[in-house]
This record gives sequence, C-alpha cells and structure tokens, in this order.
Amino acid sequence: MSLLNPWAFSFLAIVPVIVLLYLLKIKRLPATVSTLMFWQRVVAENRRRSLFQKLRHLLSLLLHLLIFLLILFALARPEFARFLRGGSSTVLILDTRARMQAIERDGTTRFDKAKKLLAGYARHASSRNQMTLLTASSTADVAVPFTPDERTLQQGIAKLEPTDAGGDLDAAIHLAEQLLASRSGAKNIVVFTDRPVATKSKVEWMSVGGKLDNVAITRFAARPIPNSRQTWEVLIEIRNFSDKPAQGNAEIYLDGNLVDVKPFQLAPNGVRIEIFPSLPQTSANARGWLTARLDVHDALPVDNEAFALIPPENPMRVLLVTKGNWFIEKMLAADETLKFEMLTPDAFRAEMAANFDAVILDDFLPDPFDLQKARGNFLFIKQTPFAAGPAPLEQPLVTDVDSSSPLLRFVNLKNVTIMNAAQLRLPAAPGGWRLQAPLRSFDHPLLITGERRADDGREQRVCALAFEVAQSDLPLRVAFPLLMSNTLQWLAGEKSSSPTSIAAGQPIELAPDESIFVEPQKTPALKPGYSAMASNSFRPLKNGFYLIQRGSMPAWIAVNTFSESESDLRAASSEVKTEAAHLPDTFSSLALGVWPLWNDLALAAFALFFLEWWLYHRRRTE
Amino acid sequence: MKTLGIRRGKLVHQRHFVDPKSAVARCAKSHQFSGALETGDTLIFDSGFLSKLEQLYLLSKKIFRGQHHAERRSKHTGSSLEFADYRNYALGDDLRSIDWSIYGRLDRLFIKLYEEEQDLPVYFLVDSSASMRWSARADTQTKFDQARRVAASLSYIALANLERVNIFYFNSRLGGDMGMSRGKSQFHKALEFLQNAPEESRETQMLQSFRAFAKRLKQRGLVFVLSDLFDAGGYDEALSLLRFNQFEVHVIHVLDPAELQPDLLGDLRLLDAETDEAREVTADPSLLEKYRAQVGSFLGGVRDFCLKRQIGYAQASTAIPFEDLVLRVLRDGTLIR
Repeated sequence: MSLLNPWAFSFLAIVPVIVLLYLLKIKRLPATVSTLMFWQRVVAENRRRSLFQKLRHLLSLLLHLLIFLLILFALARPEFARFLRGGSSTVLILDTRARMQAIERDGTTRFDKAKKLLAGYARHASSRNQMTLLTASSTADVAVPFTPDERTLQQGIAKLEPTDAGGDLDAAIHLAEQLLASRSGAKNIVVFTDRPVATKSKVEWMSVGGKLDNVAITRFAARPIPNSRQTWEVLIEIRNFSDKPAQGNAEIYLDGNLVDVKPFQLAPNGVRIEIFPSLPQTSANARGWLTARLDVHDALPVDNEAFALIPPENPMRVLLVTKGNWFIEKMLAADETLKFEMLTPDAFRAEMAANFDAVILDDFLPDPFDLQKARGNFLFIKQTPFAAGPAPLEQPLVTDVDSSSPLLRFVNLKNVTIMNAAQLRLPAAPGGWRLQAPLRSFDHPLLITGERRADDGREQRVCALAFEVAQSDLPLRVAFPLLMSNTLQWLAGEKSSSPTSIAAGQPIELAPDESIFVEPQKTPALKPGYSAMASNSFRPLKNGFYLIQRGSMPAWIAVNTFSESESDLRAASSEVKTEAAHLPDTFSSLALGVWPLWNDLALAAFALFFLEWWLYHRRRTE
Repeated sequence: MKTLGIRRGKLVHQRHFVDPKSAVARCAKSHQFSGALETGDTLIFDSGFLSKLEQLYLLSKKIFRGQHHAERRSKHTGSSLEFADYRNYALGDDLRSIDWSIYGRLDRLFIKLYEEEQDLPVYFLVDSSASMRWSARADTQTKFDQARRVAASLSYIALANLERVNIFYFNSRLGGDMGMSRGKSQFHKALEFLQNAPEESRETQMLQSFRAFAKRLKQRGLVFVLSDLFDAGGYDEALSLLRFNQFEVHVIHVLDPAELQPDLLGDLRLLDAETDEAREVTADPSLLEKYRAQVGSFLGGVRDFCLKRQIGYAQASTAIPFEDLVLRVLRDGTLIR
C-alpha cells in the first residue's frame, strides 16, 4: 500500500492537543441534594462493580484518537500497490452523440447513466493514475487534459452535455491512442457509450442503455415551386425504427404558428414521405422559420423536431439608365421581385452602380468606361464595351443559341426579327473576365456574358446585348420578359448559393465579415439573447436556427440531426464483444469497485463517530 | 373573606368561617399570620379541620404516670367511673364507697376502688436540620414545613384530650423546647413555637440530640420523632436509646418525592445540603435505577427496624396534602384513632 498524500500525517501534531483537551475536566452542572448518602453508595457500587466503568474515560479518548487517525489516513489517500504499479494513464471517452439523449425505461437518459459511471471512474484519478476526458460526437474533443486531480475531472464531467450531432467513435479512439502513445506505464482506454463497436484497439467498453423503439424525422426541406417562386413546398420524411407499427401527426409551424397538420401511420421499419404544398413566401420582415414536430412520445425526443428555412426574398435593386424605353420600363414595373430606379444618362455616375444589384445601360455607355475598373453588374444594350466597329449588322439572324446558359433558359428566340445590331467582339479573357457569347448570328455575337472575381472577392457580372429591343420584335414575344428576368437574376447573382440547412456537427465556414451567434433559437417569440459570437469557423452541436451576421444583413441557418444511425436505437450494445473486453488487466478489473480506499476509511471514521456519540449519550463513555 | 389582623406588616385573610366564641377559633384567629416561617407559609387551621382533629385520639400502648387528672388510664386508683378493685374497709374511708350489696351477702365491709384517669406526656421531636429545609423546587413546601404541620396537628389532638404536650427542635443537638402545655387554650403557644423555628440549620445527629432529650426529661411518655432520618451516624441507635429510656416512640418519616424519584440527568456536581460536601456524578437512567434501589433499601430497613422494636412508623411525603396526611395516612390505628 502506498500513500498518495503523505503530507496529511503532519496533522499528527494535533494529537497532543486532543489528549490535552481530554484531560481538561468537563464543566458539571451543580445541583444541591438533601443528602449524598445514597449517591455515594450508588457511585461506589458502580465503580466497584464494573471494570468497563473504570476504563470508560480511557475508552472515549481511544475512540476519539482512532477517529482522528482514520481521518488522517483518508486524507493521506492510501492506494494498493498493485493498482499503482508503474503508474498508469487512462483516457475516458464519453459518447456525446445525439442518440445518448435517449430516455431509458427508468426515466433517465443514457447520457446521465454514462456520466454517473464516468464520475465513479474519475474517483480513481491520482498522481499515479492520470486521466484525461474526451468527448466523441461529430468530432473528438479533449474536455479535460491529463490530470491527477479528481476534482478537475469531476468539474469537467459536470459541464458535459449531449450534442444533437451524429458521428462515430473511431476518431475519438484514434485520438486517445495518439494521446497515450507518448506516455509510459499502463495505458487504458475506457469508452462510455450505448453502442460499442468492434475495434482492433485495446478498449474497455462501458455500455449503457438497451434496445428502444423510436420514430424520427430523417429529412425536412423546403423549396420554391419552380414555376411559381412565390409558393414553397415542404418535404418531410418520417421513419419508424421499430418492429411495431407507429402513428401520429406531423405538424408544420411557420414562424411559430401552426400552418398544417398531417396524420401518418408507419409500418414496422417503415418510411413515409409527406409533402406540404402551397406554403406562402414569407414577407421581408419575417424570419421564415419552418419547424416540423411529431406528436409522438418515443425514446429520443431530439429527432422528433426538425428545422428548415423559407428565406424571405429581398427584392432585386435595378437601375435603368435610358433616354426612354417603354418596353423595358413596363417589364421592370411588372416584375414584383425587383425594385427599379430610372435615370437619364446625364444623371448617371459610375459610383452609383455599386448600390444596385444590376444596372441597365440602355443605348448608353459612359465616356470614358473602363470595364477593368468598373464596379457593379451591368447590362449593356446596343452600346457596349465590346463594340467591334461602328458599322451595324443589318437584320442579323439568330443562328446559335446556347440553351445551357442561364440567361437563355426557357427563352425561345426562334424567328426573332432584328432590324439592326451593333457589331460585338469577344475579347480573349481581359483582366480575369470569363466571357462567353451564348447568342450569335454566325460569327457575330449578339449577346456576350462575362463574369470575374473582383478584387474585393465578390463576383462581378456583365452582359452585353447587341441590339436595341425596340429595333426588334422581341418585346412582342414571350421570350422578352424571360430573357430580361433571367439576365437580371444572373447579374444579381444566385442568392441561394449559401446553404440554409446543415447537419449538426457540420462546420460552418464564415467569410471575414461574417460572424455567427453560437446559441440556437427555436422559439421566434424570444428575442435573441446571445452572449457569444464565433467567426472564421463554427460547429453547431445543437439543433435549431442560428443567426449569421453578414455585415449588417442577418441570415438564418437551420441545423438538424437527420441521421438514421443516431435515430435507430435498436442496436444491441451488449452483443458487441471486443478483444479488450476479455483482458483481465483492464482498468475496471484493477479498480476495487468504484470506491477508492480513502472513502472506506472516511466511512469507518463516520461510523466510529456515530458509535462514540451513541456511547456518550448512553453514558457508556465520559 | 374577612380580614383578621396584621402582623409584621403582612395582611392575612381568613378563608373559612371560624366560630369566634370557641377557644379553638380563638387559637386559629390569633395564629393565621405569616412571617415566622422560613418558607413564608402559614400554619392555618380552620374550624372544620380542628373539629375533625378533636374526634381523634393519640394511641399509647403503655400506661404512663400522669400528673393531673385527665381522661387517660393510669396506674393509680381514683375517682373515675371505671371500676378497678375492692379492698377491706378501714377506718376513715368514705362511707359512700362501701359496696353494700357485698356487705349484705358476706357481712363484711368492702370499699370499691375506681381507676384514676390522668394525663399523658406527649413529646414532639422535630428535625430542623438543613436536609429538612431542602426542597427540589423553590415553589414546593419543604419537609420541615410538613413536619411542623403534622406536629401542630398531633399536638392539637393531644391538647384537646388534656394531654401535656412539649415540642423540641433538634439537629446536631437538642434545641429549645416549648415547655409543657396542657389544654386546648395552649394550642396558640404550640403554633407560635412552631412558626418561630430556629434559623440555624446544621447536620443531623440524632443520637446526641436524643441522649440530651432523655437526660432532660424525667417523665416518660409518648415521643413523636418527625425527621427524614438522614443521619450519617444512623438512626437505629438513637431510636433504641429512646426505647431504652422507656419512651413510647413513633417515627413520622418525612420525605420529599424528589428524594425518592430524582429526575437528575447528565454530568452533575452534587452538593450535600448539610455538609456542603461535593460529589461528581454522571447520572443516567441506569444510575437512577440503582439510586432508587438504594432508597428503597433504606426505607425498607427503617420500616423493619421500627416493626421489630414496636416503634410506630409512618411516612409523610410532602407530595401528600397535609389534611389527607393527618386524617387518613396517620390514622391507621397505630398512631391515632
């Protein structure tokens, strides 16, 4: 046996004080009696009769000294030598994946059970047995580095919470092996999980939980209907991870308000996909939070709720610079997805372009105009920076149409009559521009598109139309509004480029001017009371809506679990046998239960203390 | 309620009706004052209680020689109505005493002799030691108070029966006495003597006190010892001394309930009320049980001792109301009837 805290015996200096205090006589209560005749006889008889009575003063002192010594030994932290031989290092891995939130039949979660087990193991931390604590979810993280201090471990354990993320344990086990590689002595890896996995590593599995039934939302998404962008449809996929049928209702909430409910019935191990059509586009000042809930009571509540977004569409800002173009003005006025302003050419300044998503220069080109230095997205009509010569093309025919171009999607230009068009030339990638001519009349481009990554990192786009719309019959065709709408949408950029939904645990990469609040929101009624923000990169571990601040523009992102392996709680953990589980030299076989020896000593001291109290009140001691 | 008088600044009210014409009432009237007793209590006897006492009679197994004509049998022949014997007529005898019916049958003159009824000397030895003045609680009466009340009651019974009564205090020695008194009119004297008890309180030495008593009193009679018998030297020799000196002894053992069933617990420093001797004791239920056994043994010893030596014995606990004590407990056929 060895003592981990031998300094505790310095308190032995207190023993003489205890003896001294004991030698001091207790203050007795004075009482006058009529005669001492009987008391003298009784006391004399008592002392004469019992040897124990003679020794009871000494017994009390011995009991006190014994209690004191037991407390000293407990403070000295004695440990058995075989437990300490050569020292040891232990990596404790706690599974914090979403499935650990499953509620067992006794009402406690698997995570709480695992934490309780973990706390019992952490009691064995000492200078001869250092421990570290890792968490395993979507990634492996070090919660507490190697420490001999049990209190530090217990504090670290108390702070741990389950995540809503999925993942596997391989990364954590691999990290544990790396951490142990440089350490000497015995090395132990103990994993607290509900689903041990077969591994070649020497791992001891501490399994919690049993087989449970569960119903989960495994997909939840919203998209605008292609032929009506003002209307959205919602898809929800519900799975039954049970050998018994299940039923319930799927509820859809928009910004916290119930908008639709659909009952569902699931066969054993069944899947059901429900579509909720015709959800309206949210207004500009709404959040567009879409929440799906299943009104079922199963083992894992976290996957009974899912989140998605219908982002409010901000109107496109368009500047029309023209001397007057009736067709373009009417077309822009009819489009509800944009707001446009109109200027005469003499009022236009080049710096205005940066304030608009797209600028239409109708038969007007600022003098001078340098495409390399210009800021903004431009649609040039007739007068373009790509002019090849002053001579116009008379009645050009549309011969080549690149239908894969986003500008010409659904645009039919067959038999369009053009009175004349400017001659355009496609330069060879000047200043980083990627130029294309999706519309041609033989060798003459009628439409040129160009895009580049500007110096500020933003995408810049330009488009040049070789002819004036009024000089053709295009405005009289269906293709005109489609061409203009496609062109303006393309110039403004694809707003859906950033994702609106990710899985929990998946990192969010942030631009330099972006930051994210690290706590999710689920209830729109609550004002965001955030305390912390993250920049560069953030890994959301809880489901909900996260607010990303892009400059002054807020944006939301939905986070969900959506993992069949997390929702399927039927994996029989006890069936997995690893090689390490049968090794006699594992950590748990060395540990004497979950009680270190000092606890037993403290308990013995407490029991003796109670015995002494009982004897004193029974007048067996003095 | 009637205000009777003021003495030493205290006003005392009489609660019971007293016939002002009777001698008893006069006694009662003149002695319902407080101030003399240490406890501040008063010896109050109402007329009803006194009339009950008048029905009682002190019992005596022995026949003592009296001094005055009274109601108790004596060894002398005299002029009572009780026939005693015959003797031959002698010249000078009263002719009225001749039994003429005997003369008619035997033709000889005989004189009828009658018993002489005389008084009985009754002595009260009241223990005034410190242990008698001890009380477990300040609001309860002491054994000394109880003893004096009993002595007053018994002295009234004796005075009412024309006995001669004397009262003595004793502790470590024999104190002063009241002086022989006779007749109910002397009851006020007895009360006054009992109220004005000596202040001094010493330890009990019965043998020394009783030896002085026997030496001082030449005329034998009935002796009532009112004491707790807490004498370190023992009570047996002292009581035997009285018996040896031809006194008929009655012991009235006055005890406090707290002495029989003490409720002391814990770490105590016990002080003897008489000697101021201290003893450290840790009292627990088992120790108290042993204490009770000791007290029981002591009481049994006193009772056996008195029984063997034909000494009258009665216990007078301070817990028993005084009137009940006199009219019921002591009236058991050995002390009074």
